[in-house]
Amino acid sequence: MILNTIGVEDMDALSLGSVFLATGGGGDPYLPMLLTKQALETFGPVRLIQVDDLDDDANIVALGAVGAPTVSLELLPSIDEASETLTAFETHTQKAVDVVASFEVGGGNSLLPIMAAAGRGLPVVDGDGMGRALPEAQMMTYAIAGAKPTPAVARDYAGNTASFNTSDTATYERHIRAFAMSAGGMITAAEHPMTGAFIKQAIIPGSLSFAIQLGRLLMEKRGPVEQIVEPLQALFSGSVYGRCELLFTGKVVDKSTRITGGYDVGSAIIEDFDNIHAPLNIAIKNEYLLATQNDKVLASVPDLIVVVDYDTSEPINAERLKFGQRVGVLAVGCPAFYRTEAALKVVSPRAFGFDIDYVPLD
Amino acid sequence: MRIGIDVGGTHTDAVLLDASTVLSSNKTLTTADVTSGIVNAIKKLLEDSGLEDSHGIDAVMIGTTQFTNAVVERRELCPVAAIRLALPSGKGCPPLTGWPGDIADAVGRHVYTCHGGFLYDGNTLAKVKLEELDKVIADIQQRQIQCVAISSAFSTMDATPEKMMKARLQKALPHVRVTLSHEMGSLGLLERENAAILNAALLPFADRVVSAFQQALQKLGLRCPMFISQNDGTLMNTDFVKRFPALTFASGPTNSLRGAYKLTGIENALVVDIGGTTSDIGVLQNGFPRESGQVVDIGGVRTNFRMPDVRAVGLGGGSIVSADGKQIGPQSCGHKLVTEARVFGGNTLTTTDIAVAAGFVAIGPHAHSLALPDSLVQQALNTMKALLDRNIDMMKPNAKPVPVILVGGGAILVNGDLASASETVRPEYAGVANAIGAAIAQVGGEAESLMSYRSLGREPALEQVKSLAIKHACNAGACPDSIRILDIEETEVPYMDGEVTRVRVKVVGELNALSGSREVTA
Repeated sequence: MILNTIGVEDMDALSLGSVFLATGGGGDPYLPMLLTKQALETFGPVRLIQVDDLDDDANIVALGAVGAPTVSLELLPSIDEASETLTAFETHTQKAVDVVASFEVGGGNSLLPIMAAAGRGLPVVDGDGMGRALPEAQMMTYAIAGAKPTPAVARDYAGNTASFNTSDTATYERHIRAFAMSAGGMITAAEHPMTGAFIKQAIIPGSLSFAIQLGRLLMEKRGPVEQIVEPLQALFSGSVYGRCELLFTGKVVDKSTRITGGYDVGSAIIEDFDNIHAPLNIAIKNEYLLATQNDKVLASVPDLIVVVDYDTSEPINAERLKFGQRVGVLAVGCPAFYRTEAALKVVSPRAFGFDIDYVPLD
Repeated sequence: MRIGIDVGGTHTDAVLLDASTVLSSNKTLTTADVTSGIVNAIKKLLEDSGLEDSHGIDAVMIGTTQFTNAVVERRELCPVAAIRLALPSGKGCPPLTGWPGDIADAVGRHVYTCHGGFLYDGNTLAKVKLEELDKVIADIQQRQIQCVAISSAFSTMDATPEKMMKARLQKALPHVRVTLSHEMGSLGLLERENAAILNAALLPFADRVVSAFQQALQKLGLRCPMFISQNDGTLMNTDFVKRFPALTFASGPTNSLRGAYKLTGIENALVVDIGGTTSDIGVLQNGFPRESGQVVDIGGVRTNFRMPDVRAVGLGGGSIVSADGKQIGPQSCGHKLVTEARVFGGNTLTTTDIAVAAGFVAIGPHAHSLALPDSLVQQALNTMKALLDRNIDMMKPNAKPVPVILVGGGAILVNGDLASASETVRPEYAGVANAIGAAIAQVGGEAESLMSYRSLGREPALEQVKSLAIKHACNAGACPDSIRILDIEETEVPYMDGEVTRVRVKVVGELNALSGSREVTA
């Protein structure tokens, strides 16, 4: 199903679908969702352009928030900060933006581009730079495909802006994080300027309308994971993701994480209800990255590992996962883009410090 | 001696305690006029105990759902001016954002946003603009609003903007009553501000409730101090209740957990409070309820009150049992148990019928003529235990076996031991555990802040939060010498350097008014 516009009525589904695709990371989209709803109510629905329909010479920029999600509990987002970041980017580059693109379909970042586009009357491209949530800029499809992150403009809550021209993505990541930390902890950035022709081979296509469909399905079929897995498989098989498997059902018997180097790192162990099979171990680094059983890898990043509530199939964020929860663990194939050698160099388990090769879900 | 009363939605439980001995207890239906119900319950306590007069009563402790109900039913709420100092952040999500329409109407939608507040690192978010504040004050005066809630960004770390606004407001309008967000809640501006607005909206009602209680006690000739239960299992004196009525939210489940602790002396356990419709499973940690980390919704409004982490399961004395005994609840006869259950001559098979048929208890006029197949009774008993075991398991802090304390009127449903428990404890007076929990004599305080250990150092940072928590406890009526630290939580903040840590401190102390008398030690 292809959507031509995104409106207020799609927001709950988009938020829920994004939490599922965020594979445990991404944060709580509550406030960005309220603000985006308000922006859509004020300015009307936003036009959604399919990747194939983009003009080859369209000027596209990716937009999202960078910083520490905890800070947004006090430093609240504003309805105009996304659109004003876009305007500041245009002023800096002296070129009008034609289409807005999304960093990732996960948490608030799936909503910010829509908020910006609504405020400016611009369209959003139906796709994103991750197809899921991942923690760093160099893991985005745009960067992997060779787009330079700069010129980029970041704007803080007060309208102060900084522009970046860096030699490579790692330097950009370091500099923009430093700006975020000194500007209250959370900023909005417009970065990775691209042409329509370029982004066609550098984006996960259709992921925004897919997240909305996914969210709808999760709301309509809310119930035990064994019942929802078939409709989920039907939905995923017709998408860029392809496979969706129910890996395991059981109870969380251990969960421990701690903050290391800015990441929430740890693991969870899930035992099956009847104690017949060996327990499942999930490695966590903000997102769920590896699912192993007796040291055999069942699923690994960049494939998506999703933990849902056993009874409702509602996705559970890694922060909220705790002892005693009855869960289902699903694995979803990553889009073909992430299976290329260039992509795996930055998103395979090794890129996250695990001594394991990527084992595709098959 | 002290009196504990818990006013619930259905029942009012009352108990008279001499140290840890229960002298008398009773359970009555909660009356529409809560105060007269309390008066009757106390009269009955004194009569039953055979006390000549009430001179020996040192204190009366009351747990009440009146303030929660006022919010849920949108009654007794007064108009509130909600002022936030956090611009230029939060444009588009002013105070009352996300509130259901009817409760936003009830508090009057008087919303003001001004510049001010702080950032996580202690830098100024924006300078306060005095002319902005004065415009707000003039508008409040013109609209004749009597109650005000003030919030500012990161006020849990630095509340100067909130305090400044309050001082300026009360200088111009001395009669106006003010709730500051940093006095109400922890990190999370929107949720803390919501809590402050709800609190401000309840201030006039709190005055009426407190004076009604005081008059009732006077009528009974009780000259002792009165205290009200707070949501964390501690007490507030009446002055404190008049300032912070919202802190009474969810004190009911807390009181039953504290009562279970008092009755057994077990500091770390799971407590299952089995009522008519549900079993509420909570966790005791060091004698206090484990708190939920989730956003707490009060009448549709998001708040960050610390509420006990309670899991409600659809199993109670009125739960309906399927013909094969394999399905129990969540449907329940509720109040109609006494007419619909088989032991009372009705046609509905309930868990109470199963307990009677199994010989655990004999209630109802038809208890002796009740004939149920053994296989059905056995199956239903297994289903009940499996349901409880499964849910108890989910509440356990880890895989280690823990004791389970059964309280509430429905505790008769469970005989023998639960597989999920290291031991199953059934204390005497389990039916009035709520009221016993209310009759505690401890006062708490808490504080939370984001602290940079790199710039402050860990110890001084912890000291800062500790002293704030202690101050809160003293204000609530704790005796300063008796205060001890109950819990220190340190959580590193992800995606942030500078060793920024979220620090939360909880303290508890003895009641100032009773510092001479001994705490009830269970």
